[in-house]
Amino acid sequence: MKLLQYIIQRFVMYFLVLFIGITITFFLPRLMPSDPINNYISQVQARAGQSLSTEATQQLRDQLAELYGLKGDLFTQYTSYLARVARFDFGPSFTYYPEPVIDILMDALPWTAGLLITTTLLAWLIGNSIGLIAGYFNKRRWAGALEVVGIILYPIPYYILALVVILIFAYWLALFPLSPTFLPGPMSWSKTVSILYNSFLPALTLVLAGFGWNVLAMKALAVATKEDAYVQFARLKGTTDRTRMTNYVFRNAMLPQITALVLSLGFIFNGAIQTEVIFSYPGIGMTMRAAAGNGDYNLLYGSIILTIISVATAALVLDLIYPLFDPRIRLGG
Amino acid sequence: MASTHRMLRLLLLLSFVLSMMAGCAAPAAAPAPGEAAAPGGEVAMTEVGTPRNETLIVQTFDGKTNAPDNMNPLMSGYSIWRGFRELAWGYLWEMDTATGQSYPELAAELPTVLNDEYTQFEIKLKPGTYWSDGVELTADDVIYTLDTYFNNKDKLTYWGVSAITNYVKSYEKVDDYTVRIETVKPAYDFVTTLGVYTWGSAFNIVPKHVFEKVEDLAAFKNEYPVTLGAYTLKSYDPNGQWHLWERREDWDRSATAPLGEPAAKYVFYKNFGDEQTRTLAFIKNEYDVDTFMSPDSIAAAQAQNPNVHTFAASLPYHDMGDACSYGIIMNNLKAPLDKPEVRWALALSLDLPNVGTNSMSGQFKGSALPMPDTQITRPAFFEPLQEWLNELTLADGYKPYNPNFGADMVTKLTEMGMDPAQLPTGDAVTDNYGLGWWKADPVEAEKLMNSVGMFKGADGFYTMPDGSPWTLELVIPSDWNKVMQRVGFSIADSWTKAGFKVNARQVDNGEFGTVQSTNSLLQTMVNWTTSCVFNTNFVNNWRSWTAENLKPVDSSEQVIGNLNRIDNQVIFDKIAEASAMDMSQPEFLAAGQDVIKETIQNMYYINMMNIPTTIPTNETYWTNFPKQENPYAVPYTWWSSFKKILTNIEPAAQ
Repeated sequence: MKLLQYIIQRFVMYFLVLFIGITITFFLPRLMPSDPINNYISQVQARAGQSLSTEATQQLRDQLAELYGLKGDLFTQYTSYLARVARFDFGPSFTYYPEPVIDILMDALPWTAGLLITTTLLAWLIGNSIGLIAGYFNKRRWAGALEVVGIILYPIPYYILALVVILIFAYWLALFPLSPTFLPGPMSWSKTVSILYNSFLPALTLVLAGFGWNVLAMKALAVATKEDAYVQFARLKGTTDRTRMTNYVFRNAMLPQITALVLSLGFIFNGAIQTEVIFSYPGIGMTMRAAAGNGDYNLLYGSIILTIISVATAALVLDLIYPLFDPRIRLGG
Repeated sequence: MASTHRMLRLLLLLSFVLSMMAGCAAPAAAPAPGEAAAPGGEVAMTEVGTPRNETLIVQTFDGKTNAPDNMNPLMSGYSIWRGFRELAWGYLWEMDTATGQSYPELAAELPTVLNDEYTQFEIKLKPGTYWSDGVELTADDVIYTLDTYFNNKDKLTYWGVSAITNYVKSYEKVDDYTVRIETVKPAYDFVTTLGVYTWGSAFNIVPKHVFEKVEDLAAFKNEYPVTLGAYTLKSYDPNGQWHLWERREDWDRSATAPLGEPAAKYVFYKNFGDEQTRTLAFIKNEYDVDTFMSPDSIAAAQAQNPNVHTFAASLPYHDMGDACSYGIIMNNLKAPLDKPEVRWALALSLDLPNVGTNSMSGQFKGSALPMPDTQITRPAFFEPLQEWLNELTLADGYKPYNPNFGADMVTKLTEMGMDPAQLPTGDAVTDNYGLGWWKADPVEAEKLMNSVGMFKGADGFYTMPDGSPWTLELVIPSDWNKVMQRVGFSIADSWTKAGFKVNARQVDNGEFGTVQSTNSLLQTMVNWTTSCVFNTNFVNNWRSWTAENLKPVDSSEQVIGNLNRIDNQVIFDKIAEASAMDMSQPEFLAAGQDVIKETIQNMYYINMMNIPTTIPTNETYWTNFPKQENPYAVPYTWWSSFKKILTNIEPAAQ
């Protein structure tokens, strides 16, 4: 019964968070100091003297306001927005009018998800494995060396790390392209290979940048956990190092790491702007960045709402799976 | 312990697999991009499978697009910056960017004017121009396009639709190759409005036989367009990073046939990433023409690759033929900027040699007139006004013009240790650095400020006439325009040293447009918008300098066109008169010179420098790009003049 109550509470909270987030998303872009119509008009005016006459400018302004759905009072716009969001219809992009926002997002999402889910999981797995070993055997010299890897990589700014990787693997060794060229057409074996080949460097930098923190965090947790009474008890019972490390230390130390992992997965819909810029990698990060810069409200709504939904859903999933890992929640302890 | 070793081995294995995956996955059949030829004489191929020596590769002007499949030129969101105008389209009249003169492209000749009011025109089309699907271009296409503009103006968002439907009054087909058009007002700019002015046109003629079958023109993507130009779209990246164009078999029936056969069979537009990655790719010969690479990156590329070239061999190295220039827009309505003395004080406090060396390493060209100083505008406006500029005096008798600006720049750069061989000499000094600019004279600036009751306070900064503190806001682009960002910070530094307390505020590109158009938000900003004069037709950009486009000083209503907030009846009258003048007549140029004089006397706008179009070329595969010694066109790949470049470049000897 307590478990059911727990689940219902989480779902209520989930929908409340979504409603508040979606409402804020509607009003926030309207507080931004730019708007899509001015942006387009100023671009036209800026283009080498091809200025419109006063009448033509006014006509264009009125027409865009009408087409973009920016006429009418705010409440009408808000209710219409809620109705559309419920259908995942975010309207057309203003910058790329009349391209539907959902199409733009759906084109970008697989690239972002493919890259970031893979690299987040890899960074988590490798980082936590190294951190666990380094923490469990923290008195050994080689374990210290493993920790050094994390200490060295963690503070390097991503931009520098990416440039170093590019210089080594793409410029000097020429093993990978400096910028990817993804070929169009249906999926095939050769296309899959091409995607893996072109995505390797961005993936490598994300793993390198991500796993340092996991090493340090897991190492600290493992060092503390292995001194706990139940681990000492297991040692006295004659269990092996491997059993204690994996079954006793890791299982207890991983709870905060799982929280971090799931939330990281939720945030992947923000994209990885720096990766996309440096590696010309397609994804949602640059789309969001450009939408904010251009005052493209609809595109901004769409991408932020996806992030809100994914983070809220990740938190919900986390809440729902926590009882599996932590009996104290399951048993109401 | 054994288990630990197993885990370590597992990690090592994983690393090894990841490393090997790269090697295994690398396509082995084609030589790497940039290699001249593989061993055994195999021709190098591009990433998209075209022979490298037949492919001209250029960096996209817009980076990445989110609508790569949209090739419908009737909509605002179409893929405008990656070959559509340059390779795929033709216009009634094109512009020779070397001279500023229009020449017939789809039209057989310049239009015949049918009445004295200059409102009725007859256009004769050139017979024998074919769309890429084999259908001939005729008057029906022109009439259909005009019909489409007028009948769908409420849903077509391309700005040209508004422009043309407010410009054209009526039209009719005379025969298959002849159209008559009547304009709303006298239209001395008919050729550059229905044709190309600088880089593109308001009037994109569309193929009737394709578009008339489309139910919803606004939703129509026109994904692989039927083209008028010498190329067709072969392939593109759905992610918006590249487009590949292929020369038409029947290029000699295309709109650009008279220019000759384009040298490159393929033109590949690609986004090579941020500037650091682009520089590395450029060094490795992965592409041939860049867009706006910073001087530092160009120097780095040149140090590594002797085939990387700038527009000129001596300073300032780059092409300065852009239609616009960098300057400072001021809200002339907002106190204390409503006083000409304050505006002049700002101009004289702006140490342009320092700004240009600090932000551009001396790679710029000064321009005192409110337009760029180019090979086209110089004889029309700059040279005739030199005497007037030399004699120009402010109210206190001070002469602000420095005709030795170029020589001063050379001296300054010499003193800074610049290699003399890199510096211009003789006539090249004024050709490269401009005919003159304002003196950097903070002492005179202080006199002017004092004359309107503004004195420096205890902190060394000017105060308002009532003694209250004054902070001048200078809006500059954030990193979406790094060159202007650097210039903006240098200006702020220069003004601060002269006693102006400056708040340099960086804004995103969306906010930039809002600030420039909103009186209540604008004090000063670094901008290029109001200085765009490409040829003698100065009215094209300044036609919105009218009284009706002035708004109250604290208004949040959007200003149209008159971004300098000029309130000057002489200027309004001159522009109105010039709008109804034959542009080929001396009176027209005289009117333009009068507008310029009035603008300068009141210092409504502080123009600074031509936009330095830093476009390096890599001549490993292609040569004969436009250069200072052979400026047959502006060297930009995103203007329709690129058509001329394509027929002039030559394969490099391998």
